[in-house]
Amino acid sequence: MPEITILKRPREEAVITQRMFFKKTARGKVIKVLRERYLRDDISCGIDGCRACNTTAQTILSRSGDTTHKDFPTGHYILPDTNVFLAQMDLIESNYFTPPIIILQTVMEEVRHRSLPLYSRLKALTTTDERKVWVFYNEFRSETAIVREDDETPNDRNDRGIRKAAEWYNAHLTLAHPPIRGQPKLALPKVVLITDDFANRQKAEREKIPCISVRSYVDGMKNSDQLLDLLSATGSDEVEPTRAVAGRTALYADYLPMSTLVAGVKAGQLHQGHFNANQFNYLEGTVPVPAFTKPVLLMGRENMNRAVQGDVVVVEVFDEREWKAPTDEVIDQEATLKNDDAEDSEEEGDDLMVHEHESKALRAEHAKKAPTEKQPTGRVVGIIKRNWRAYVCHIDSTSLTSSNATSLGLQTVFATPVSRLLPRIRLRTRQAPSLIGNKILVTIDRWEITSRYPEGHFVRTLGKAESKEAEQESLLLEFEVPYRPFGKAILDCLPPEGEQWVVPPKSAAIPEWRDRADLRDLIICSIDPPGCQDIDDALHARRLTNGNIEAGVHIADVSHFVHPETAMDNEAAARGSTVYLVDKRIDMLPALLGTNLCSLRPHVERLAFSVIWEMTVDAEIVDVRFTKSVIASKAAFEYGEAQLRKDDPIRLLNSLAQKLKAKRMAAGALNLASPEVKIHLDSSESSDPVDVEQKALHETNSLVEEFMLLANTSVARKTQESFPQTSVLRRHLPPPPTNFEKLQDILQKRKGLKLDVSSSGALADSLDKCLDPKEPAFNTLVRIMATRCMLSAEYFSSGSVSRDTFGHYGLASPIYTHFTSPIRRYADILVHRQLAAAIGYTPLHPSLHSKMHVERIMEVVNRRHRMAQMAGRASVEFYVGLALKGRNEREKEVTEDAFVIRTFRNGLGVFVSKLGLEGLVMFKRDTQFDAENYTISVPSSDVGRPDVTISVFDKVTVRIEVEKDKNTQRGRVKMTLVNPVDSRAL
Amino acid sequence: MVSISKAEKAYIQSSLQSDPPLRADGRGLIDFRTIALESGIAPIANGSARISIGRNAQDGGGGTEVVAAAKLEVESVGDGEGVDGGRVVCSVSCSPTAYPLLSPNALDDLQHDMTSVLNATLSHPTIRPKNLGILPGRKSWLLNLDVIVFSDAGNIFDAIFMAARAALWDTKVPRTKSVQYRAKKSDRSDATQAMDMDVDEMAHVGSALDTRQTIQVADFELPDYWDEGEPLDGRQTWPVCLTLNLLPTLQFLDATLQEEASVPLKLLVFYSFQSDTTPLLRGMRLLGTGVSDLVQVKSLLKDGEKYARNVWVALEGKLKDEDLRRNQKARERFLNR
Repeated sequence: MPEITILKRPREEAVITQRMFFKKTARGKVIKVLRERYLRDDISCGIDGCRACNTTAQTILSRSGDTTHKDFPTGHYILPDTNVFLAQMDLIESNYFTPPIIILQTVMEEVRHRSLPLYSRLKALTTTDERKVWVFYNEFRSETAIVREDDETPNDRNDRGIRKAAEWYNAHLTLAHPPIRGQPKLALPKVVLITDDFANRQKAEREKIPCISVRSYVDGMKNSDQLLDLLSATGSDEVEPTRAVAGRTALYADYLPMSTLVAGVKAGQLHQGHFNANQFNYLEGTVPVPAFTKPVLLMGRENMNRAVQGDVVVVEVFDEREWKAPTDEVIDQEATLKNDDAEDSEEEGDDLMVHEHESKALRAEHAKKAPTEKQPTGRVVGIIKRNWRAYVCHIDSTSLTSSNATSLGLQTVFATPVSRLLPRIRLRTRQAPSLIGNKILVTIDRWEITSRYPEGHFVRTLGKAESKEAEQESLLLEFEVPYRPFGKAILDCLPPEGEQWVVPPKSAAIPEWRDRADLRDLIICSIDPPGCQDIDDALHARRLTNGNIEAGVHIADVSHFVHPETAMDNEAAARGSTVYLVDKRIDMLPALLGTNLCSLRPHVERLAFSVIWEMTVDAEIVDVRFTKSVIASKAAFEYGEAQLRKDDPIRLLNSLAQKLKAKRMAAGALNLASPEVKIHLDSSESSDPVDVEQKALHETNSLVEEFMLLANTSVARKTQESFPQTSVLRRHLPPPPTNFEKLQDILQKRKGLKLDVSSSGALADSLDKCLDPKEPAFNTLVRIMATRCMLSAEYFSSGSVSRDTFGHYGLASPIYTHFTSPIRRYADILVHRQLAAAIGYTPLHPSLHSKMHVERIMEVVNRRHRMAQMAGRASVEFYVGLALKGRNEREKEVTEDAFVIRTFRNGLGVFVSKLGLEGLVMFKRDTQFDAENYTISVPSSDVGRPDVTISVFDKVTVRIEVEKDKNTQRGRVKMTLVNPVDSRAL
Repeated sequence: MVSISKAEKAYIQSSLQSDPPLRADGRGLIDFRTIALESGIAPIANGSARISIGRNAQDGGGGTEVVAAAKLEVESVGDGEGVDGGRVVCSVSCSPTAYPLLSPNALDDLQHDMTSVLNATLSHPTIRPKNLGILPGRKSWLLNLDVIVFSDAGNIFDAIFMAARAALWDTKVPRTKSVQYRAKKSDRSDATQAMDMDVDEMAHVGSALDTRQTIQVADFELPDYWDEGEPLDGRQTWPVCLTLNLLPTLQFLDATLQEEASVPLKLLVFYSFQSDTTPLLRGMRLLGTGVSDLVQVKSLLKDGEKYARNVWVALEGKLKDEDLRRNQKARERFLNR
């Protein structure tokens, strides 16, 4: 009989075998967590051919280490401390940084504890094939595991663990390289501890562990020139303490400690929110907080206190009598700070001039303002979370010291971010002259209280400014669009037949045909914009014998190919949506699916998910059913083409669509407008824009749209019914009435028009009445401005919000979702899965039963959706700029009609509807500005004539030029007024 | 809790009263059976101990066995039951195998009786530990002391109190740090200056009479996740229990089940010896069908104090040993592997 013994670990060893810690939950409970720890002796060191370790174990590190560093001629491996990863991730990730790295488990855990984004970058580093990175589980190897001493801080304990591991590794190397008899004793490679913690280095030296600081390590590398630039400013403290740091005056107040911030927010005395910079005035920002209807205004550098766009900040709100109204002046950072020198300003002593400039710029706040315009005003007292990433910048050429414009010496320069919302970044680089005229990527490292600007470091060059490739990539980076090609793991999820995949012949035994309706005989067609490759919807309609009409919407069955929890599904979830740029499409799913297998091309059998209604002739829905199906589209129309065809099925569909639309409008749906322009490209190769025109709207556009809306609404009802807790829906919250205050006021004062915002229906009606008989475009303009006052629609999980907030304000629909574009939106894929489960086609994947999981995905998808829209818009803007440049060259002077949409003390905000372009007309000197009535008066161009008054909604003519900023090489659109006055004189 | 016949009862009583007194296991009247104590037996609790009285040395069976565990929980003061400064709630539950002959209802009653004795003594506000408060007036710790009786071979109350004392001795309270935000006065001229002024103001606020500026402590944090915390305050105040089993002419200690069944009256005394001079009587209780008078109780208290001190000293010595064993020695052993 076999003897079974139970290996019970004696409780006496609890100190070693158990790791205990406390956790405070979000609800304020304290939980004691206990983890078992098993120490083992078979954790490999990861070095090739090590005799002491298990020979079968996988190894990554080469036997002799890296021998190119001048301080370690006998070869070495590096073992970085936590602070190296926290501060110098860009360096570690660089392709020039090649030494073999040993990452300790202790370090990994500390990084995770301190910063999740950095942790995921570190994780990614450990899995790439190109790099020699070995993760050593030191806490689990019996020789390197340590127990915390009494009175030892967690930090000291971890440092001790890291040193212990480094010590062990060096001792271990002697075992791995035993002396071979008859041969001279080989010099052994070393394991070098890299840390910027001075105390840790001292201790390590005492324990005879080789150690070095990051900077001195990089200095000794063979390609130190490229790498020194990547060093973040954070780590460089101790190496260059030469400047009289103590002598500098603090420009900003210190942040309060995190615990105080949290306590203050909880007690309601402080407020937390995202910092939004003002794009017209770099000295002003706002923080929307739940406690006030209007966002908290931050005025001036001191009160913005080093907050950068997107940071989660904590603000303190001043007494109500100190509240202010936002300034009505455009303050341009570049103009105001033109003479600020990067090297000089390090001393920040002689900043009187800057100060004067800025206080002049802020002077407007002293002007008396109507009390209604005042909004909560405060200052930033702390940062909860920095959302710093790599920013696309240009080097400001004036900040280079002229004497060494060609030298390769280290110098401090300013980088101006492309985005107007960001402050200039100061960085030290050796390659400054070669960077001029390029788009570069810069990361912010820190922002000291003594420094007017944040300090950062150079990451990499994107290419020449205004070259298409650089612009495109910078756009994608700026909006954080993931654009890498799909990896092998993802492509492996595609059907092995590839392009040759077809719907298998009908047979009950074939899984594709299980529970699928055969709709191949129906006359189905698709209507899409010209050149559309990813056709994800198709329609049909036919008269039934009972006089009713059957109408169907057929959506590509993407969920048949994209299964939950696969690499492809995860990637799609992370990408969130396809991003459309003018000259490029960044797919959410591999192109094989989007443009072939899931594209409902004509005359090809395709899998689809169909929504089929039975309607009366008056478009009343009698019945709706959902089914997976196989279809064969009979024709693919372009909008214009379908418009001309209008044969029977299309006419039928069209008549229904018109009735549906009428019903929707009656229910109070809004007809919103946003500037939509189309870029004509010369040819697909050159992609030089030739011209810009406004998109033409065909009746058939609205045909497709009506049916898609109907399908989405029907599907939303069905999935919400089946999965009340986790169904994926889309809502559009009604905007708070305060959002419209300004627009209402302008309309009232300028045009005598009233805007009723009590409900979406009322708004729709009053928008219809906003007409100017002389100016047909006026209505569109008001619609565009009204749209800007609204909140953006969002995806949500039905269990996460209360039932009465499900509604879609713009569409006036009580419930809504996205079902119709699964190729390009991830939310639609989820809805497909839920609908398939709701009709009993497949069981629902367990992850879609979890509210938390769905919420998490929704958060990502919402953000990606927003970013994708912004990226698309920015791409259009770039091409509008290019087109204008082309026109300028051809036509000498480009003038367009424009509407005034905003008045500033020193300028006008104008909107050129023909180009969908918003711009700024700046005056060099102040005008007579009437904030109450939204008018400015400028002297007439003819001497002796009375001043000309310009007000919001006035039609003016502007001259549009594209000029290149001399310093930053940033092309920008410049507008000047031509009519009623020529503003060049002003 | 065993039922014995009248003859057995008479036999036990007469042998106890004989000279010299005779007990079935050969002990003297004031001798205890062997007591075994181990602390820290429930790692997930904040403090725990197991005690057994009269366990068979050979096979580890038999004897009275009790486990106590203290668990701390954050509760808010004001809404609900929370008390400013924290509170202790005790409960005793009996494993059905400890009393196989009792019906579930009877077991419930028994548990309730034991709980009331323990709770009345240990939850008393006078011996409430001082470090159970987290944020004055906002948050405090609730200490749940749960005692489980696994088997009863007599003298259960002494065992329960010893286990409770050991568990509370072992209890560590996680260190908390209160975090607060102090709104500053509104007369500021410049934002940067105001920040500096904060420091000055703190110095001014010294006067306690200045009530205008109430300190708004809003929340707390754990400064050190890995630290178990500081020992629960009042290690010296948790009493021991001594059960005097009374026969008309004598009293004896640590009765077995049979002996318990043979005595008409038991006196429980709860003593704590914070310093050598002033032993504190934390409570007493008479259990049983017999009667007693003040004169007898007075002399019994004197004796009880003497015996209780012995138990106290022995227990304290062992508890200190346990502390050493679990921390310092374990670590040394780890280093000398």
